[in-house]
Amino acid sequence: MPSEEQDILKSAVQEFAQKSLLNNLLKLEREGIDDSMVRALATQGFLGSRIPEKYGGSGIDQSGYLVVLEELATFSPSVSALVMLTSSVFAQLVGDMDPEAVRRVASGEAMASVAFDSILEGNTTVEGLKESGKSMTGERKHILNANPDYLISEAEGSGFLYLIKGGIETKEEDQILSFRGIKLGTARVNCSTYVKLADNGKKRLAEVMDSLDLEISAIALGISRGALQKVIEYTKVRKTFDKPLKDYGPVASTISKLMSEQRVLEMALHNQEIEEEKEKLMIKVLAVDLAKRASKYALQFHGGYGYIEDFGVEKYYRDAMGLSILLQRSRSDNQRLAKEIFGEKSGYL
Amino acid sequence: MDFDFPEDIVIARQKASDFAKKEIKPEDARVYDKQEKFPDDLRKKAFELGIVDYTNPWSMLVTIEELCRADAGMGIAATVSLFGAEVIMLFGSDEQKQKYLGSVQTGKKIMGLAVTESGGGSDVAGIKTTAKREGDKFIVNGSKMFITNGSIADFFVMLVRTSSPDGKRHHGLSTIVVEADLPGFTKNKLSGKLGVRATNTAELILSNVEVPAGNLIGEEGKGFYYIMTFFNISRAYVAAQAIGIAQGALDRILSHLGNLAKSGRSEEITEEIQFLVADIATRVEASRLLTYKAASFLFQFKPNPTLTSMAKAYASETAVFATEKALEITGVSGITGDLERFFRDAKIMEIWEGTSEIEKLIISRNLLKEASEGN
Ligand SMILES: Cc1cc2nc3c(=O)[nH]c(=O)nc-3n(C[C@H](O)[C@H](O)[C@H](O)COP(=O)(O)OP(=O)(O)OC[C@H]3O[C@@H](n4cnc5c(N)ncnc54)[C@H](O)[C@@H]3O)c2cc1C
Repeated sequence: MPSEEQDILKSAVQEFAQKSLLNNLLKLEREGIDDSMVRALATQGFLGSRIPEKYGGSGIDQSGYLVVLEELATFSPSVSALVMLTSSVFAQLVGDMDPEAVRRVASGEAMASVAFDSILEGNTTVEGLKESGKSMTGERKHILNANPDYLISEAEGSGFLYLIKGGIETKEEDQILSFRGIKLGTARVNCSTYVKLADNGKKRLAEVMDSLDLEISAIALGISRGALQKVIEYTKVRKTFDKPLKDYGPVASTISKLMSEQRVLEMALHNQEIEEEKEKLMIKVLAVDLAKRASKYALQFHGGYGYIEDFGVEKYYRDAMGLSILLQRSRSDNQRLAKEIFGEKSGYL
Repeated sequence: MDFDFPEDIVIARQKASDFAKKEIKPEDARVYDKQEKFPDDLRKKAFELGIVDYTNPWSMLVTIEELCRADAGMGIAATVSLFGAEVIMLFGSDEQKQKYLGSVQTGKKIMGLAVTESGGGSDVAGIKTTAKREGDKFIVNGSKMFITNGSIADFFVMLVRTSSPDGKRHHGLSTIVVEADLPGFTKNKLSGKLGVRATNTAELILSNVEVPAGNLIGEEGKGFYYIMTFFNISRAYVAAQAIGIAQGALDRILSHLGNLAKSGRSEEITEEIQFLVADIATRVEASRLLTYKAASFLFQFKPNPTLTSMAKAYASETAVFATEKALEITGVSGITGDLERFFRDAKIMEIWEGTSEIEKLIISRNLLKEASEGN
């Protein structure tokens, strides 16, 4: 997408966010993304932005899609994660195997969830679902997006990956660190309609997750930009000892350096000549790290106000950490990166 | 030089640790956190069993560590009901000590310290709440922000402006005891904190609140000095809270890695993880040494504000570092378990009772002053 078109798209997302998201951000964090928000995202074409038109999506190219993800994350990382989950993860995994499911999800008629904790780090046991040849039953913990109509999950034993269509009852989990808009849930499944998506579920899930380096970078950079914009505004007006905070060297230089990293990474992210996997991965590793640091300082420089939800800063701190655990595999990324740099398997000991 | 604690403190630590294991269960901590509920039963029990006893500051220091190691929200809620008592203890009249301290020392009553205002917390001298003398009363007007125990305390030690600053901003400030049930005194509980959600925090609004003149603590105009003296004490306890959180995170990392090893997944404990574990453990140990050194000066009545600020700032940064790395190491199991709460709780350590930036200003100003005085 030419850069002028990217700018137009950026303005469109910002306009939507200002109109539909800005006044609902606290509610969204407290109660989760509701159906009307999902429909609004679908109507604007954002929910299925990366899904091909033949499946009911908007079919925009990757450069436009990154703009959508980054801009939405600036306001709400949860909303952006929902779009990525729908447009990239679900749509890529299902694709031609069930175009109707993809169409329903892209249009906001149905919600999709994917259980990919088995490939994430720090997982000690994955309790799976049992497939009997006729039905799929059991319980699956830690599914991202706690209230789905469709669930993609591996089956215990075979490790096959399935699309489960209905018969899903979910309970929200207590995890309140990150992505409060979409939540983590435990799904209880009793379903006879399901489609096999892949033989090696883990491998397929890992392939898809590893193909989303730039998408995750876009969310990370949205988080850091949202946090930095807030702290720049705040430190201009907040005074201590009769001086605005921005006048204090450590405050100004910390924010300025973070903003410089932000700008350089944004330039890299939106550089459409980036094609090599290695470079995409480099951007992601740095962007996620920046999101964590920028959100931490933004919170800190808000003082006590940073610690309460009303100022909308602490959510960036929570979501940056959540992003690095629930949507990224940082140790495996570091090893992938080391392999790229050294030309062979490295850094695994 | 002997680094061992005397036996009574070792026993106090063990007692606190046993109490925490029994009374601060992870499942309860999760509920209090989620519902933002104050664990008053826990607090009362801690007093009844003699776990909370500020007459022995060393044992209190290690007790705070052990309780926060189990859970910071509940641990702080159980130990913070005397917050501000030292101001009365050090500068109050005998009558005030008798009237106010007895009941908080036994846990019957709860108190709070009200300094911060919406306009500023770091800039203590910038407060705007006024107390005008009228006969035998002070008429108090203004508001206070982020006050711990704010909507449950029976009374507050409050910093107010009793006269204009006369050129120096920290002049004209005084401390008074304000009882919570006075007409014109309203409290709004704040919800939606990132962490320490079992503690109670409120905004206080005072509109023509009449406080007896006898509630003035110490001398009029000395409030700024009293509060700074207080912070030099309380910061050692905050450092202990932070050490507890960091140690709690380390415990959980080691248990997670132990489980990996037991289940034949030792190869996942890479050198990167091992280095992080070493870093966290080193910082926890360094925080302890700094805090105990600062406390040792303090508890012998020769406070060293530079050391206290070093301990508070360093232990707080350690708590944030340890919990952040704990989540990175434990991944999904950490984020879906107790460590995510530790991560949210830890961040307050760098903010309350002097942000890390303010502590650093104090440290370097003291050092520069000492250097210029040729010490
Ligand atoms: C949960 C909670 C409980 C609390 N309990 C109490 C309580 O019981 N009693 C009470 O009185 N207060 C309490 N506080 C208030 C707390 O002590 C203040 O929030 C804290 O002192 C910071 O003040 P502030 O929020 O006004 O931030 P500000 O003072 O506005 O500071 C904002 C940021 O600017 C930085 N900054 C300020 N000046 C400088 C400078 N010169 N150079 C560099 N950086 C600077 C600060 O470090 C901070 O990062 C509580 C706060 C919270 C969140």
